Amino acid sequence: MGGTPMRRKGAGIMADAQAPLRTPWILGEKRPIDVSNDICALLERKPTRLWWAALLASSTVLLIGMLAIGYQMATGIGVWGVNRTVGWAFDITNFVFWIGIGHAGTLISAILFLFRQKWRTSVNRAAEAMTLFAVMCAGLFPLIHMGRPWLFFWIFPYPNYRGPLWVNFRSPLVWDFFAISTYFTISAMFWYVGLIPDLATIRDRAKAGLRKKIMAFFSLGWNGSYRTWIRYEVVYLLLAGLATPLVVSVHTIVSWDFATSIIPGWHTTIFPPYFVAGAIFSGFAMVLTLMLIARKVMGLEDYFTLRHVDAMCKIIIVTGSIVGLAYLTEFFTAAYSGNPYEQFVFLNRAMGPYAWAYWIMVTCNVVSPQLLWFRRVRANLVAVFALSIVVNIGMWFERFVIIVTSLHRDYLPSSWADYTPTLIEILTLLGTFGLFFTCFILFCRFLPVIAIAEVKGVLTHGRSAPPLPHSQSDKTRHASEAFEEART
Amino acid sequence: MRQHEKHYWRSPDEASGGSGAHCGDARDVDAWIEAPPGHVNRRDFLKAAGFALSAAATAGGCGKAPEQHVLPYLNHPEGTTPGRAAFYASVCGACEAGCGALVKCRDGRPIKIEGLPEHPLSRGGLCAAGQAALLGLYDAQRLRGARIEGRDTPWSGVDQALRARFEEVRRAGGAVRVLSRTVTSPTLQASIDRFLETFADGAHVVYDPLSVAAILDAHGATHGARVLPRYRFDRAEVIVSVEADFLGTWISPVAFTAAYSAGRRLDDNGPKMSYHVQFESRMSLTGTKADERRRIAPDEASSVLRALAGRITGEAGQSPFSEDSLKAELRTSLEALAKRLLDARGRSLVVCGSQDAEAQRLCNLINEALGNYGKTLDIRRPSMQKQGNDAALAGLLRELEEGRVAALVIIGLNPVYEIPGGACSAELLRRAGLVVYCGEREDETAAAAQFLCPDHHFLESWLDAEPVSGGVALRQPALRPLFQTRSVLESLHAWMGAPADAYDTLRAYWRDHVYPRATTADSFDTFWNRTLHDGFARLRGGLAQASLRDVPVPDPLPVPDPDPAAFTLTAYPKVGLLDGRHAYNPWLQELPDPVTKVTWDNYACLSVAAAKRLGVRDGDVVRIDAGDAALELPVCVQPGQHDRVVAVALGYGQTATARFAGLGPDWFGKRASVGEDGLVGKDVGPLLRIEEGLVRYERRGVTVTPTGTRVELACTQTHHTITVPPRLAPAGGLRRPILHETTLGAFAKDPKAGHPHAHHIFEGDLYPDDHPKRGHHWGMAVDLTACTGCGACVVACQAENNVPVVGRDEVRRKREMHWLRIDRYYSGEGDDVDVAHQPMMCQHCDNASCENVCPVLATVHTEEGLNAQVYNRCVGTRYCANNCAYKVRRFNWFTYRHDDPVENLVLNPDVTVRSRGVMEKCSFCVQRLQEAKIEAKRLGVKVTDAMTQPACQQSCPAGAIAFGDMNDPESAVSKRIASGRAFRVLDEINQRPSVTYLTLVRNRASDEAENHGRDAHATEGSGHHG
Repeated sequence: MGGTPMRRKGAGIMADAQAPLRTPWILGEKRPIDVSNDICALLERKPTRLWWAALLASSTVLLIGMLAIGYQMATGIGVWGVNRTVGWAFDITNFVFWIGIGHAGTLISAILFLFRQKWRTSVNRAAEAMTLFAVMCAGLFPLIHMGRPWLFFWIFPYPNYRGPLWVNFRSPLVWDFFAISTYFTISAMFWYVGLIPDLATIRDRAKAGLRKKIMAFFSLGWNGSYRTWIRYEVVYLLLAGLATPLVVSVHTIVSWDFATSIIPGWHTTIFPPYFVAGAIFSGFAMVLTLMLIARKVMGLEDYFTLRHVDAMCKIIIVTGSIVGLAYLTEFFTAAYSGNPYEQFVFLNRAMGPYAWAYWIMVTCNVVSPQLLWFRRVRANLVAVFALSIVVNIGMWFERFVIIVTSLHRDYLPSSWADYTPTLIEILTLLGTFGLFFTCFILFCRFLPVIAIAEVKGVLTHGRSAPPLPHSQSDKTRHASEAFEEART
Repeated sequence: MRQHEKHYWRSPDEASGGSGAHCGDARDVDAWIEAPPGHVNRRDFLKAAGFALSAAATAGGCGKAPEQHVLPYLNHPEGTTPGRAAFYASVCGACEAGCGALVKCRDGRPIKIEGLPEHPLSRGGLCAAGQAALLGLYDAQRLRGARIEGRDTPWSGVDQALRARFEEVRRAGGAVRVLSRTVTSPTLQASIDRFLETFADGAHVVYDPLSVAAILDAHGATHGARVLPRYRFDRAEVIVSVEADFLGTWISPVAFTAAYSAGRRLDDNGPKMSYHVQFESRMSLTGTKADERRRIAPDEASSVLRALAGRITGEAGQSPFSEDSLKAELRTSLEALAKRLLDARGRSLVVCGSQDAEAQRLCNLINEALGNYGKTLDIRRPSMQKQGNDAALAGLLRELEEGRVAALVIIGLNPVYEIPGGACSAELLRRAGLVVYCGEREDETAAAAQFLCPDHHFLESWLDAEPVSGGVALRQPALRPLFQTRSVLESLHAWMGAPADAYDTLRAYWRDHVYPRATTADSFDTFWNRTLHDGFARLRGGLAQASLRDVPVPDPLPVPDPDPAAFTLTAYPKVGLLDGRHAYNPWLQELPDPVTKVTWDNYACLSVAAAKRLGVRDGDVVRIDAGDAALELPVCVQPGQHDRVVAVALGYGQTATARFAGLGPDWFGKRASVGEDGLVGKDVGPLLRIEEGLVRYERRGVTVTPTGTRVELACTQTHHTITVPPRLAPAGGLRRPILHETTLGAFAKDPKAGHPHAHHIFEGDLYPDDHPKRGHHWGMAVDLTACTGCGACVVACQAENNVPVVGRDEVRRKREMHWLRIDRYYSGEGDDVDVAHQPMMCQHCDNASCENVCPVLATVHTEEGLNAQVYNRCVGTRYCANNCAYKVRRFNWFTYRHDDPVENLVLNPDVTVRSRGVMEKCSFCVQRLQEAKIEAKRLGVKVTDAMTQPACQQSCPAGAIAFGDMNDPESAVSKRIASGRAFRVLDEINQRPSVTYLTLVRNRASDEAENHGRDAHATEGSGHHG
C-alpha cells in the first residue's frame, strides 16, 4: 500500500486534472507505478562510480574546510584577513550567501504549494533538501566567526547561572538566532513530513533488512489509508502556511543585521525586500544548478523537464530585475538623501578599490540574467546551467560588496583600511561547498530525490482527459518536438 | 634567577614600598579600603577569611613565587597597604631632559611612570619615551651582572681586576678617558671628575647622539660662554624656529611643549596665542603645529637667518647680509616676519636646530638684536641638558686611532652605534688598552668591551639631576634592583679604591655642595626630605652674565649650485625612539610616528613632487647612495618636505632589535617584525659625518634611485586627509566635517568660527534612555589647538591598560591594539599642506551604537555615562566594532602572549589582561575612576578633577586633555564644553559622544573665507589614499 494517493475530485490540490492543451509536466506517459519504479530504482541499485567519485571529491573538500576551521579555532580569528576596520568579511558574506540559497527551497515548497503551482512537485524535494543543507552551511558561520565560539550558547536566552545577565533583545544578532533556528526547524519539519509517504514507499519495496527497519521507523507507520492522507494533507497545508512567512522573515531579519546599524551603505530601509528578492534569486539559481546536474546524471529528464527549467528561469528574471532595481534605488536614495557619507559609499562601491567586485556583481546579477528573456536561451540547458552559476557568483559578490565596501571606508578617513582574504577564509568557503555537496550527494543516494507521491498527483495518466497516444497528436507535436530538439 | 626572585617583592628600605603577595585580587583589596576601619561584622569576617584563603590559593597557584612571600608581613612596612599604589617623585631617565617623574608602585614594583605635576620644567607632562622607559626596567634581556671578557664575574672580582688595571695605567701615566652622554647629575659629574683626577691624564668626553654642540660652540664664540641657553617658549609671543623640532625631539620637548602651550591659551580670561613660524626642510612635529610653515632646503637655514638678521639689524641687503640666494617669496615673508619680531622685542624667540656653526651664530645675533637674552632665553642660568662637545669627541677618536688611550670608560652611551659614520668602530675601541662599558644592554659596544659593568635602570638607582642651572632634583629608587647591576656612582668609587654606597655619596655631595646653594633656611635634613618628597628644589646662583662679543659676521660662503638630480640626506630623530637608545622598547617601536603614522621601520621620506619625479610611491624601495656608503629603504611620501631632501630616521638597525624576530602572534601567515638582516629598520649613521668638529645630520649630494622592489610599510593610517578622493566625492562632500579649524582672526570675531552649519539633530530615540546619569557623568574635552600629536598619551594608555604589542605584521594587517590613537590629517595641495592632529579614543557615546548590537550585553552603559566593556561576557562577534562610527574598538585577534615572568611585572594589576576573541577599547581609565570614588568616599570629600585623571590626560605635556564630571558645572571639562570652540565629532549621527573637541585655531592673518576656499579645492595630498 505504497504512496498512491486516493483521488477524489477536488479533494487535494495535487489532484487537479491536467489541462489537455498543455504539455504535461511529467513526460514519458508515466503511470504511478512507473514513478515509484523510476525514483526508487535510483536508491535500490548499487551506487555508480560517478557517485563515489563525487562523494570522494566533495568530502575531501569538506575535510579541508574542516581543517581550516579547526586551525582557525585553535589559533584565533587573526588567521582571517579581517581587521580593526573591516570586522566582518568572508564569514558574514558566506553566511548571508548560504541563507539566501536556502530560500528557494522554502519558496518552492511552501509558497508555490499555496499558489497551486504544480510544477513544484518535481523540484520541491531537492529544493527543500538544498535549503536544509544551505542553512547548515550558513549556520556554521555565525558560530565560527565568534572570537570565542566555545561560548556560542551565551546568545541563547535560557535560564542560566551566568548572573543576572540575559541576552540583548535589541541586538539583531539575537533576532538572527531566532530567525535561523526557527527557519531550520520548520524547514526540516516540512521536508520530513513531505518525505513520509515516500519513505513508506521505500519501506514497502525494500527487502527485510536495515533499510526496511530504518524506513519503517521514519515512515511512522504510514499505511496510505484515506484517513492518513487527509491528516497528512492538512498537516502539510498548515506547515506550508507556517513556512510561508519565514520566506520573508528570515532574510528580512538577516538584512536587519545591516539595516539597523549606523554604517553608511548598511543603514538603509530598502534592505528587507532587496535581500528577500536576492535570496530567492540566488536560491532558484542554485536549484537549477543542482537539478540540471541531477537530471543528467540520474536520468530524470522525464521528471525535470524543459518546462520546469522555463518556469524557474522566469522567476530568476523577475527576482533578478527586483535586485537590479534595488541597486538603482540605492543610488537614487543616496543621491536624494543629501547625506555625503551615504553618497560617498555608493560612489566608492562603483569606483573605489572594490569596484571590480561591484561590477562583477552587476554583470552577474543584472546584465547576464537578461539573456533569459530569450526563449532559446531558456531552452538551452547548457546556457541555463552556466547562467545559474553566474547568478550565484554574482549574489556572493553582492553580499561581499555590501559588507566589505561599506565597512572599509566609513566615517573617519583615518580608519579606512582594505581587506584581502587569507587562504584559511577561502578554504573555509570551499569547505562549506564540500559540506553542502556531501550532504546533497548522500541525499541523492539515500532518499527519493523527487517527491514520488506528489509527482503522482500531476501525472496525466488516468485523467478524465484521454491520455496522449504514443503516436503524438497534432496538438502536442510542436511542443514535444521543441523539447526533443532541445534535449538532443 | 632564584636569587632575583627574592628581590622582586621586597621593598627597598629607603623607598619603603611593597607587599608580599603579588597574585592577590586587587579588587578584593579595594573592598578592604572601602570599609571603614574597625567595623568588622560577621559577613566581613567571612569575606576576609575567604579572601585570605583565595589569595593564598591564587598566589600559591602561580608557582613561581617562593612560598614565604605569600605570608603576610610580620612587621608591616610603614605606609604601605596591599593593593594601594605608592607614588615616588623622581627624575625621568629616558633622556637628559630631566623631566619630573612620578613613579607609581604597586606591591613593591613600579607599574607606571607619570609626569610630576608640580615640576617647574615639565609641568606634569611626560613624553612617550619617558612613559615607555618603564619597559626598560623589566627588560629580560638587560645585562644581569658584571662580566669580564664575556664571563659572568662577581662584582668583587671585577673591582679587583679593574683596580689592578687602573693602577697599572696610573703608574704608566696613560691616558684615561670617560666617554658619556651629557651628565646632568652634579654628583655623578663630581665623581667622574674625582675619578679622573686620580690619573695624570684623565679627561671626560661628552657626546650627545642628538648633538646640539653647534649651539654651545656658537655661544662660546659670540658670548664667551660655551653654554646651551634655557629657552622660554612661554614668554615668547613670536617664535621663529629654523629646523628645530622643539615640540618633538629637540633638547627638552616636554618642557618646551608645556611652555609653548602655556603661551597659547585661548580659553582663559585673556586669550593669548603666540605666533609661530617654522622654517624647515622636512615635516617635523613642530612644523605641524606652526602657524606659518616655510619649506626650505637644509642648506638654506643660514641664508634665511642671515636675511632675517639683516632685516632686524637694519642692514638688509648689505654685506654680509645679502639675500641673493633666497627666493623672492621667501624674502617677502621674511620682511613681514622681521617686522613682527621687531614689534615683539624681548618677547620673541628665534631658535635654530641646525648643526651649522654659522647659522647658530646668526641666530644668537638676532636674539641679541631683539633683546631676547635674559628674557626668552637665558644663558645666565643655562640649560644643562646637552653639554656634548663634538670637537672633543673628534679628538678622542683621533687619540683612539693613534692608540694613545690606555683606558676608556663608557657610561650610558653606545658609541659603536651612536657615533655617526662608523667613526667609532669596534676595532677602534679595541685599540684602547682597556674598555669598561657601563651600559644596560648587550649592544654593539658591549661586544667590544673587556669589562661590562652594567648600570642600574634609573628606577633602581639613587642619583640627582640639574637639568637647568639652579633647578635640582633627586632621583630615588622605586624598587630594589632586579638584577646584579650596580650604579655607576658606586662603580667609580669602587675603582677609586673607596667603595661607597650611592645613597651616601649622593647625600654627602648634597650636604657639601647643593645644600649651601639652597634658597631655604631649613636644616639639611629638612631640605633633603622636602626635595625627596617634592622631587625638585630651586637653588641660588648662576653664571655671570655673558654679553655679546663683537664678533664680525662672516660673509656667506658661496653655496654651490645644487645638482638638480642630487638629494640632501637629512637624518632626524623620531619621537619616542630618539637617537635609538630606546630601540629595544616594543612600545616605542609600535608607537606610530606622529606625522607619518608608520610603526616599526624607518623609511626614506620624499616630498610629493620628489616621489613623482622618481616615479615611486609608498613602499617602493630606493637606494640612497652617498658614494662611500649606501642604504636601501622603502619610500614614505611626506607632503610638506623640501623637494631635494630625503629624510631618514636615526636610531634604527640596532642589534638590540634582533629580539623582535619572534614578536607577535604565531601562525603560518606570520611575517617577522624584523627585516631581512634580522633588525628593525636600517642604520643611517654610516652615511653621516663629523665635519669641522660638528656631527652633521645632513649629507649633501646623495643620489636616490628606485630599486624596483617593494616593502609594505606598517602604517596605522593609510588615508591622510579628511577630504575624500575627488572622483568619489559627492556634491559638497569633499571635506568631512569631523575636525574643525579656524584662524585666530576669525576666532576673535566669533568663538564658534570654523564650525560648519549645524545640522538639525534628531533627538528622538528608538529605545528609551534608561541611564539618567544623576550622579557623575564622565566626559572628556580635547583641545586640538593644544594637541601636538606627540603620542605621549598613546604610550601612557598602553602602559596603564596593559595594551599588548602586536608586531609589524599585525600592524600591516591593521590590527594594532592602541586604545587611543592620534588621527593626523593633511589639508592643502601637494607639498603645501596644513596638518591637524586629532586624538581619538572611545567616545563613550550616550546613545552608543555598539551597545544595541551586542547580542550578549558585553558592552553596556553605566549610570555614570561610561560605555563599559565586559571582557568576561564578550563572545567576539565584532558587531560592536563594525557599528562604531569612530572605529576605536580593538579586537584580540590572537592570544597576545605574556610569557616572560620578568616582563610581566610591568602589567597593571588593576586592569585585566584580555584573552583572545575579546573586544576591548578605552574605558576612560575606569579603574582610576573607581579608585578616586572610593578614596573620596573614604575621605568624605567631593570627587574633583585632580582625582580623576585618566592616564592620557596625566601625561599630556600640552594639557590638551581635560577630563571630569560633566554634571559638575565647575569641572574643567564642563567649562570647555561651554566654550565656543566645543564641537563633537559626527554629532549629526546622534551618538551623543561624551568626548568634546575644541576647534583647532591657527594664528594666521588669512581670513575664514580664504581658508574655506582652500579646503574646498583641497585634493589628495600625495596620492596616499589607499
